[in-house]
Amino acid sequence: MTLIIVLAIASGMALSAQAAINGQLGQKAGVIESALLTFGVGTIITGLLIFFFEPAHDATLLTVPKWQLAGALFGIVYMIVMVAAVPQVGVAIATVATILGQMFMSLLIDTQGWLGNEPIELNYWRIAAMLSVACALVCIYLANRESQPKETALTTQAS
Amino acid sequence: MNAIYVLLLVVSGMGLSFEAGLLGPLGEQVGHLWATLSIFGVGTALLWMIRLFTSKRKSPDWSSLPKWQLIGGLLGPVYVVALTLATPLLGVAMTMICVLFGQVTKSFAIDYFGWFGVERKQTNPLRLFGLLFIFLALCLTYIGAKS
Repeated sequence: MTLIIVLAIASGMALSAQAAINGQLGQKAGVIESALLTFGVGTIITGLLIFFFEPAHDATLLTVPKWQLAGALFGIVYMIVMVAAVPQVGVAIATVATILGQMFMSLLIDTQGWLGNEPIELNYWRIAAMLSVACALVCIYLANRESQPKETALTTQAS
Repeated sequence: MNAIYVLLLVVSGMGLSFEAGLLGPLGEQVGHLWATLSIFGVGTALLWMIRLFTSKRKSPDWSSLPKWQLIGGLLGPVYVVALTLATPLLGVAMTMICVLFGQVTKSFAIDYFGWFGVERKQTNPLRLFGLLFIFLALCLTYIGAKS
């Protein structure tokens, strides 16, 4: 479990490195273009990894129920909303609003066991953790507001 | 008007959790890399279409861009594979908090050291507090999962 936690944290780090790099790239090439590039390279890399490393499975992407494949749509919608909304409301509000939605829905999925996930009981520890995230959001909001028109950091989490 | 945007942002944030919630079970069934491919393959196809129909600007001259800026594409799969591996074991909420912690730590470091050509920024103590609260949340979910 600890190993997986470390992995998840590392992936968050990879994500914000990616966001910073794509921010730079997006200024020159355009947001959609840089996202397309990221996804294109991602597809090729994953394809190569599958080709050489992935063991065979009974189920394939073509045999699972179609709704299980909808994940990518949410990522794209997120990205488009982000591109449209950040100039209107600013990075600070955009970041906080997304994390708020993210936390609320993840708690709901865990508690209800939606989408084929193992249900996890909503105990006091988890509620306390969410309150702590809320405090963190207040801090992030205030910090981002002070250093406004920067568009890096927590944006473009789409991929 | 702004309220609509904020609402949209909240909903799209919910979408991200949905994505993670879908990926975990999918990866268990068809393999983690295949689940990752479904994200990137569909994403690439959709973005290509979106670009085809909306973008007015000329396609950029890829060869003139600094090569290191192209490695963003290497980091994306790392995130998605980790997501498919982690959600079945940790649950969606804990995975998201871990990711958030990694993100805030790293973006803090990026701003502080000015990595990747990002402008160096003064450390804001509020961001440190934010980081501490997220770490606290991580510890709390961890204890919650153990008990």
